[in-house]
Amino acid sequence: MAILTFTLSEEGVTAFRDALNCLSKFSEDVSIEARKDSFFLSTMNTSKSAYASFRFATNRFFGRYQYQATGQFQDKFYCSMYIRGLISLFRSRSGVESRGDVDKQTIIDRCDVAIEDGEGVKSRFIARIIFRNGLTATHRLPFEVSMPVHAKFNRQEALYHWSISSRTLKQLVDHFGPGTEYLEVNTDGDHVNFTCFSEKTISDDAVLKKPLHTSISVETDEFDDIDVEDKLQIVVSIKDIRAITQHAAITGNAIAARYSLPARPMQLSYASDAISCEFLIMTVGERGGNPAQRTKKVRKGAPSSNNHVPPHLEATSRRTSAAPSQTAAEIQRQQSEMPPPASSRQPPNPTPRLSAARASASRIGAFDFRPSQRPPPPTLRSDSLFVEDEAWEPVRDEDEDGDEDARLEWDHSADPVSGLVNRLMCPVANLETESLYFAHEPRR
Amino acid sequence: MRFHSDLKNIRTFAKLTAAFSTLEKLVWLRLSDETAHFTVVPDTGSQIWSTLPMDFLFENCTIQSAEPSNTINLELSLQPLHRALKSAQGSISASLRLTKKKGVPVLSMTITTNTKSSTSKFGNAPPPAAAPLKPPSSFDDPFGDVDEDAGGADQTHLETSLRREHEKIITQDIPIRVLHPDTVASTVQPSLQEPDVHIQLPPLLQLKSISDRFTKLALASGGGGGSASSKSPRLEISANMHGGLRVRIATETADISSAWTDLDNPQLDPAQLRVPIEEHPSTKFRDRGPDSWASIYVDGKDWSRVLSAGRLEGRVIACFCHNQSLVLYVYIPHYDDGAADDAVLTYHVQAYSA
Repeated sequence: MAILTFTLSEEGVTAFRDALNCLSKFSEDVSIEARKDSFFLSTMNTSKSAYASFRFATNRFFGRYQYQATGQFQDKFYCSMYIRGLISLFRSRSGVESRGDVDKQTIIDRCDVAIEDGEGVKSRFIARIIFRNGLTATHRLPFEVSMPVHAKFNRQEALYHWSISSRTLKQLVDHFGPGTEYLEVNTDGDHVNFTCFSEKTISDDAVLKKPLHTSISVETDEFDDIDVEDKLQIVVSIKDIRAITQHAAITGNAIAARYSLPARPMQLSYASDAISCEFLIMTVGERGGNPAQRTKKVRKGAPSSNNHVPPHLEATSRRTSAAPSQTAAEIQRQQSEMPPPASSRQPPNPTPRLSAARASASRIGAFDFRPSQRPPPPTLRSDSLFVEDEAWEPVRDEDEDGDEDARLEWDHSADPVSGLVNRLMCPVANLETESLYFAHEPRR
Repeated sequence: MRFHSDLKNIRTFAKLTAAFSTLEKLVWLRLSDETAHFTVVPDTGSQIWSTLPMDFLFENCTIQSAEPSNTINLELSLQPLHRALKSAQGSISASLRLTKKKGVPVLSMTITTNTKSSTSKFGNAPPPAAAPLKPPSSFDDPFGDVDEDAGGADQTHLETSLRREHEKIITQDIPIRVLHPDTVASTVQPSLQEPDVHIQLPPLLQLKSISDRFTKLALASGGGGGSASSKSPRLEISANMHGGLRVRIATETADISSAWTDLDNPQLDPAQLRVPIEEHPSTKFRDRGPDSWASIYVDGKDWSRVLSAGRLEGRVIACFCHNQSLVLYVYIPHYDDGAADDAVLTYHVQAYSA
């Protein structure tokens, strides 16, 4: 019996494939997590330095979406699949506009998916693909029932942020040549510099094998808004940024980056009509001499944050210009149950605390790791990505817990310069007990 | 040692580097007050020697060198250079500067550009329907870059600029090696003989697709026979002074040739000849009639790389010395300035006698 059935329209298939393609640049496996009213694809890379997640609005994204709570999947269904296997269903035959008429015949018209699991039933992801020309292909893919691993991001900690048109960012990233590993972002007065470099040591006689070293200086005016510590140098993996900007540019909306200090994760997020995307990537870098100095710019005419209308395709030019902050507003709305900023120290209304506790409790089962999945020893004083220890802790009111607040603070003693590579290998995020991560938004 | 210059003709420069890089990864660039020499000499295979007037690619140029006659010899990797030039295409301005970064000499390219469209009016706008024609596949970029120009211009027209275009400064540092004059002294251009036959080649795309087909055919049949399968097939190229060109492949089981007729055998300028025009070998070949062919064998794979010079979109004159050598002169038109003189690349094609 099917636990989950849903239908992807022609556009849905494309969007689904785009998301999978993006995820495949991080890892070989994708985690699927479905509830009555939410559907997630997520993955974490093997070095635990990058995490990607896509949230699909079930009512808008899927033509039909039905979740049947059964057996062990009363609350939610989760599984892990080989991404390439999944992508291949939607690839090649899906047709590109530029192809000839012959290929147009084999465009996917829609795709019906049923996920079966349970007592006496084989665990199968069954995709029935209906082509424009009337052909129907049915694929049965095996999957592994395993709890997804989610990384969490502490928004309160991330004091610095900027947002920029995803297409602009992609055009900038396109200037970077192959062969480099790192992207450094730093601010210098009115400019933001993106520098792409390699740390590979190259002997003198092989100097010509060095990759192109590229740096781009962008005026802060180019950003929709920006608030970053001056001279702060943040270094991330260029490969991850490429994967993210490539997908973000498809949606064409603004992409927002939030981060704090080197060796703390950076969050990149953007949303389109029915999909919201979040990435957490680990950073390294160096802090400038004057932490108090900020590079700041807020876009004029940005609508107030109570504007909850998400951007639509048919948005007029005026509304499109407002889209970035609307997007931010929507994220805000999604996370409206989150605690207020830690500085306020005020406990939020009881509901979120309860849900936070429930969310973390329900996650305890997720940390039954195979040995290979154990995180590398934390190089920072920050806590490991996983809440193994937390599972033993009693449920408590985190928002009033002084220690908890202390843990949220930056690790000033961290030496962010040495060992770029090692640093980038360290976990992308530490799981704080607060439910700050939208994947575990409490059920309503 | 100093070199600083603004770049012009960037599209041509990028095409040049693309053509060079089909033969070899590195290029030797010799800069002087008047000329820029680009020389590509792979370990085996065809070579390219070119002397471009300095103002073909550079303007507002400064050169200062302790070397004789104010020259600078650089060796650089073509891939980063090409990539940097792609970056500079469609920019507002671009300049090159010889400098040191962290003690390592680099050729630093500074590009002022703006992104083509900051915000799309249409949200998830599809790419413009009338996308410009893609270049023929066989002349595709050797680095597999997507042509960033494609669709860009159209899109700009479709979208209303919602905000002021901001200029961005892009710095591309290309790794280089400064060569000592002694190092380059041993590299000399092969001598050029007076050709038996000179002829303007048909469109290179045509010639390349037929040559490539022959090469593949020979490779396939060679593989089937089990013998000499690793050896690259040799094509016989022949031309006469009466507008005829032939490409032929002979394997154990097949003998195929393609012929072109009515091609142009351009007039020679007597002023530039070392011998009187009446005694020139090509005059003799012409007099002997259309059955007098000058032939040479070329390596199929190498020939295919040579023919990717077609991306430069210029006229190509082939000069045959029967059973000795084949030299191609590729004339590169000015895209920006139609009135200016064409620049010439000299391809010394790796050739075998019968």
